[in-house]
Amino acid sequence: MAPRDTSMGISRRRPSLSLRTRPRTATVSTVQTVGPDNELWHGLSVVDSDDDGYDGQALEEHHISEQVLEETNQFPEPAPRRRGAKSFSSLRHPVDGLRALGRRLSVTIRNKSTRHSANPSEDTTRNSWCNEANADRRASVNSVTVPGSLPGLGLAPPVFSDDFYAGAAARAAAAAQNELARALRDGLKPSGTNLTRDSESGIGIDLRDRSELSDPALAVVRIDPVAYLPPEIMAQVFSYLDPESLMQSELVSRAWGEQASSRPIWRTVFRRAYRHHRASGLSNKKRQAAGLGNARPDQDWKRLYLVRRALDHRWKMGKAAAIYLHGHTDSVYCAQFDEDKIITGSRDRTIRVWDAHYPWPCRKIIGPQPVDVPGIGPVNNSTQQSSGKPPFLTICPPPTRSAGIMTPMEQTEDYHSASILCLQFDDKIMVTGSSDFTCIVWDVQNDYKPIRRLEGHRAGVLDVCFDDRYIVSCSKDTTICVWDRHTGVLIKKLLGHRGPVNAVQLRGDLVVSASGDGIAKLWNITSGLCVKEFPSKDRGLACVEFSDDARTILTGGNDHVIYQFDANSGEMVSELKGHEGLVRSLHLDNMNKRIVSGSYDMSVKVFDAQSGELSIDLPGWTTSWMLSVKSDYRRILATSQDSRAVIMDFGYGLDGIDLLEE
Amino acid sequence: MSAQMLTFLSNDGVEITIARDVAERSVLIKNMLEDLGDTDEAIPIPNVNEAVLRKVIEWCEHHKGDPPSTGDDDDSRRKTTDIDEWDQKFMQVDQEMLFEIILAANYLDIKGLLDVGCKTVANMIKGKSPEEIRKTFNIQNDFTPEEEDQIRRENEWAEDR
Repeated sequence: MAPRDTSMGISRRRPSLSLRTRPRTATVSTVQTVGPDNELWHGLSVVDSDDDGYDGQALEEHHISEQVLEETNQFPEPAPRRRGAKSFSSLRHPVDGLRALGRRLSVTIRNKSTRHSANPSEDTTRNSWCNEANADRRASVNSVTVPGSLPGLGLAPPVFSDDFYAGAAARAAAAAQNELARALRDGLKPSGTNLTRDSESGIGIDLRDRSELSDPALAVVRIDPVAYLPPEIMAQVFSYLDPESLMQSELVSRAWGEQASSRPIWRTVFRRAYRHHRASGLSNKKRQAAGLGNARPDQDWKRLYLVRRALDHRWKMGKAAAIYLHGHTDSVYCAQFDEDKIITGSRDRTIRVWDAHYPWPCRKIIGPQPVDVPGIGPVNNSTQQSSGKPPFLTICPPPTRSAGIMTPMEQTEDYHSASILCLQFDDKIMVTGSSDFTCIVWDVQNDYKPIRRLEGHRAGVLDVCFDDRYIVSCSKDTTICVWDRHTGVLIKKLLGHRGPVNAVQLRGDLVVSASGDGIAKLWNITSGLCVKEFPSKDRGLACVEFSDDARTILTGGNDHVIYQFDANSGEMVSELKGHEGLVRSLHLDNMNKRIVSGSYDMSVKVFDAQSGELSIDLPGWTTSWMLSVKSDYRRILATSQDSRAVIMDFGYGLDGIDLLEE
Repeated sequence: MSAQMLTFLSNDGVEITIARDVAERSVLIKNMLEDLGDTDEAIPIPNVNEAVLRKVIEWCEHHKGDPPSTGDDDDSRRKTTDIDEWDQKFMQVDQEMLFEIILAANYLDIKGLLDVGCKTVANMIKGKSPEEIRKTFNIQNDFTPEEEDQIRRENEWAEDR
């Protein structure tokens, strides 16, 4: 092996070279590429010496062999994104609408300006159902009226629903309902074909001024369902609504308010609104908190909804507090958390367990006796922060003294003798991987006592994951080992990568791995064979994510982008752009449709998992590279090379946020 | 398995004869028949008039081949307010008839029909402002402006807005 420092040095400088060859990045990052920053990067790479999980050398070797490609590489346009079915269903309406208008023969443009402005409150109501967002699909229908079909009288208000979730069929039923009721009131026979056909179109828009609607004749066929139907039936009706419609219902009348605010209804509506994408037990990799509250009998579900909505608003605004966990004395390579605890692993050879609640004390240190750290120093890079979302509040809890939380471990074989590079835990066990070439399985239920050591790799263990059956580890030695979770027996070695395997994920019988050789591979554990390959466009890969349904694979690495692949077809679906350094860590939150990434450009970014758009940029929240990121419904946990972990808490200080804990 | 016919008597005194398998879409009638054994007499349905009963039977005729509802699957049942095409057309009735069908479905314990009815009403509410809902069902707003304002404020709560 070549002396490490030189190779790392080249590796760190490389990004700036490549930036010059790519007009796309160069224009964005002019500031980044000039001198001082490069110096900084270089300096950091020296600190990051032999056991950095991310084998810069290997990434680099691959890169050198591809250098010719690099220079001629024209970045192709990203593959066209697949659109959700939703957009198709919304397309149906204009077509149906035109068809309906066609049937009705006569169409005139209506001038509604005078009355319209005479009544400002009417005006706002109208705007609420034909606002900007819908204008494109309804404009043609809204601007015309149909005098021929039902002459003369004030039409009923079959107001078109703004709800995108309900299917066309459902809207049609309601529209038809309204239309028929109107026809009856107008003394027309409901004979028919006309009505039936119109309702098929799904269009039932009343185009008249609202002021015409206060016809007293309406009273004849309009019946208040809350007065007519028993409460248990209305409860069923209300529980079909979305939360916003339910809140509108509360304002209709006192009787409606009373029934629509009932807790069982809100429970159904709230849970449906936030639970629909919950994975069906396929993966217990994350055990990610869902933020759905617990089912206490006195739970105020409506309040839960309001808190959740406020929290989502904060995510949208990128508004979070920074809480710094200070105690490790060197790079924090890995972390995982749940509602109760945060566990971090570091280059200082210790594992720390932190309380996930105020004041976030360190509860436990596992490993050799540490030195207590001095003062905290600067925690962030405020210059960088100005280009994105800085924390609205910064909290630095005092470091916990190690004396009280250290379990004396006499035998060195009880813990790792080198950096902790990776970890995962569930309710029962924790598995860590280390530069000492081994994994250790710990007993979470028995004070984190070591259960066994997994020996078999011939170099540092760079990533680890497990489920109910298997523990899968990957290493700098280019292999992936599959172990029996319960016995620790080595079941299989997956061979095929030509560089260090930096990251691995497991779903059922499928393993996906990402390597410094620039290729992600999908493996079948049973056969032990590689099923598919997902190459990067250029350089080495550092991290990988596998969606809970095992259909989407995300990879990140030294190309500075996040690649999204269809696991079945093997096609690259999209490239998420925004980072200006190696993408070191990825986390996919399926429930909330967020992709969180941490990079050597010192930022954490959040992408919309559906559109692929960058939604939050969080640069400079620590003073160095971001090494690991995880998230749940309310926070992101990021660990940094500057020896700290930071909780980016979007729920901090939000009134009632604790209600969402399960 | 022949088409055994049964006669029912609506509360306005009209006799209607239908096949047993259709009538058994109603859990109430199914249970009643199990207790009663075979009978030639007209079975009174005291809460439902002829017009509504005929609509309900029409629905049962159409859905007689449906698999029996699973019953306890509440969450998935409430997932969506989509209604199949035939049911949409079936529900194109005035509000009074719609509510009467719902009441009859509830009384006769015909889950599928009750669901469709409730979904239809939910779709008439969805996405509307309170004022639009009031107009749809001819409801008087009996809130004082202060009360209305308070609920509104409560519902709009979200910091930083």
